[in-house]
Amino acid sequence: MTDRLSELLRSATFRWALGIALWSALLALVMFGFVYWQTAAFLREELAETLRLEVRAAAEDPAGATGRVETWIAMDRHATHYGGVFGRDGVRRAGNLVARPAGLADDGDAARVGATIETADGPIADEIWATALALPDGGTVVIGHDTDEIDRVRTTTLRAMSLGLVPALLLSGLGGLVLASRARRRLAATEAALAEVRRGDLRRRLPVGTRDDEFDRLARDVNRMLDEIERLLEEVRSVGDAVAHDLRTPLTRLRARLERSREQATTVEELRDAIDQGLAWIDQTLAMVTAVLRIGEIEHGRRAAGFSAFDLATVVREAAELFAPLAEDGGVSLGVAVAPGPVPVRGDRDLVFEALANLIDNAVKFTPPGGGVRVGLAETGRFALVSVEDTGPGIPLPERARVFRRFYRAEPARPTPGNGLGLGLVAAIAGLHGFPVEVGEADGGGARFTMLCPRETERGADRRAGRAPERNAAP
Amino acid sequence: MAKLLLIEDDAATAEEILGDLRGRGHDVAWAATGPEGAERARGAPWDAIVLDRMLPGLDGLTLLRGLRGAGDRTPALVLSALSDVDERIRGLRAGGDDYLAKPFVLAELAARIEALLRRPADTRETLLRVGSLEIDLIAGTGRRGSRDLDLLPRELTLLEYLMRRSGQVVTRALLFEEVWNYRFTPKSNLIDVHLGRLRRKLEAAGEPPVIHSVRGIGFTLVPDDGPR
Repeated sequence: MTDRLSELLRSATFRWALGIALWSALLALVMFGFVYWQTAAFLREELAETLRLEVRAAAEDPAGATGRVETWIAMDRHATHYGGVFGRDGVRRAGNLVARPAGLADDGDAARVGATIETADGPIADEIWATALALPDGGTVVIGHDTDEIDRVRTTTLRAMSLGLVPALLLSGLGGLVLASRARRRLAATEAALAEVRRGDLRRRLPVGTRDDEFDRLARDVNRMLDEIERLLEEVRSVGDAVAHDLRTPLTRLRARLERSREQATTVEELRDAIDQGLAWIDQTLAMVTAVLRIGEIEHGRRAAGFSAFDLATVVREAAELFAPLAEDGGVSLGVAVAPGPVPVRGDRDLVFEALANLIDNAVKFTPPGGGVRVGLAETGRFALVSVEDTGPGIPLPERARVFRRFYRAEPARPTPGNGLGLGLVAAIAGLHGFPVEVGEADGGGARFTMLCPRETERGADRRAGRAPERNAAP
Repeated sequence: MAKLLLIEDDAATAEEILGDLRGRGHDVAWAATGPEGAERARGAPWDAIVLDRMLPGLDGLTLLRGLRGAGDRTPALVLSALSDVDERIRGLRAGGDDYLAKPFVLAELAARIEALLRRPADTRETLLRVGSLEIDLIAGTGRRGSRDLDLLPRELTLLEYLMRRSGQVVTRALLFEEVWNYRFTPKSNLIDVHLGRLRRKLEAAGEPPVIHSVRGIGFTLVPDDGPR
């Protein structure tokens, strides 16, 4: 219990709640003060106005001044009205004020002054609000009122404020505690879920409430991040599994072949055959390992140093030309549609060639004899679109997004030899260059791969060659 | 045959390379560390140096730069286990004449060393004649004996490359790099298909073969008896 309390006291939410409680108490104080100030000012002004009217009325009628003052005094039974009529020499002619209050100007305005009042118990000194005006005969008329009423309002208000502050502080503090512990509870659930994730349960997700507040949004964002992490890990795992699996197959064959040859081979020729076969299988595994490493290397973008401007049209033509004999041997016609004239793009010429070679190789491989492969390069404004279409079985819509993944082989591809790394390499190369690569359907139902390459503009080339040296430029 | 220096720190790898190169008749010396390699490289004239990129004591590229800085022009081939492809550029920039990434096929290494040792003397020559083969690079024509050959531009380049290295084994990777001028390892049968076409054109009239496959390695052009 004490642990939980001390944890609560240390928590940021509690401190926020406490801060908010203090702030709201301060706000209440300020509000009270303002209300008090306004009320007191109103009362004071009202009293002053009454006094001003009264003294003016008395001064305007010098003959009736005495009577008016007496009436004013008699008007209030609680002896809070004061007044006096004083002669030119300052001698009192009427009223309950012993003398003209010192320091009171006879300008008809109300002021707070000290005065001596005559009561049944003798004269007493008190603070009063008073006004004075001169009489035509050189005398003065004074009208006053005691300050007790205003003072009482002030005392009451201040007492109410100080008494009210304690429960207000307590209440806001309590409210803060409640809010803090509620926030704590929500966070505790989140923390518990995160601890599970940390311990390795990546399928665990944070609880998301229904309020759609900051907590919920944060939890949802974290959940989305966890989804992505889980997906990536799954991909890494499946790539790892695929590598291990694809390595094991040729290695198992190799082992069996070596073992059998050791027991059974009787001539040098037979042993040599076994070794040749073994070497072929080892080459196959090495090629795969190299391809995996290359994809990783390209994905990490370490080849940007090799970027330069080159003619894409030549690369497309030469890539198609490289595969022409292979396609012809397979009974596949290989058409090339590249407009004359250079198409400058910026990138790694060898890698772009390799990507194209992989696309054309795939297309030729999956096209049955009698079919055709079309390699094209079209220019659309600032871009050049490379396309490779075939008349093969095509790639079903749901599988299109997955073909660029490492080790993925679309179902119809299963019986065809290959390690499932070709398109992964294409995707990695396109990714390194920032060329969007897509797969769709060709007119005849076959696969159509496209790669969109921004043309190298002369301005871009000048900029690079001119002032600022390219960050990636080779030293 | 040739006097070679191998600078390689891994004893097992070195043993395989030494065994293979000695088996091909070369006189090969071995240095296991960078400083030792640098000392031996300076100590005697070599026909070619094969050195590993990563060496204890002294990095292979630094060693090479030092040699080149001292005016040593001995052909050098850099071996590297680093998978970074930019490494090749760095290797060549440091003064390497060729670059081979590990793991490699021993025959590929041997073929590349041969290529370094026997660089074609005069590549400006435009009229080549090997046995009964004859090509004119300016006219873009080829003949076998008295028969005109109908060659595509790429086939002519391919034939030129083989003729300039007649009697030498060239690997598929070397061919692809030098004839197509792209740097990556294509599927092995791709180059074979191109070679097969060229071969058929050269032997179309029943002539004896001039281009021979070397199993598991590549190809070699062996001159025939001469013009008939």
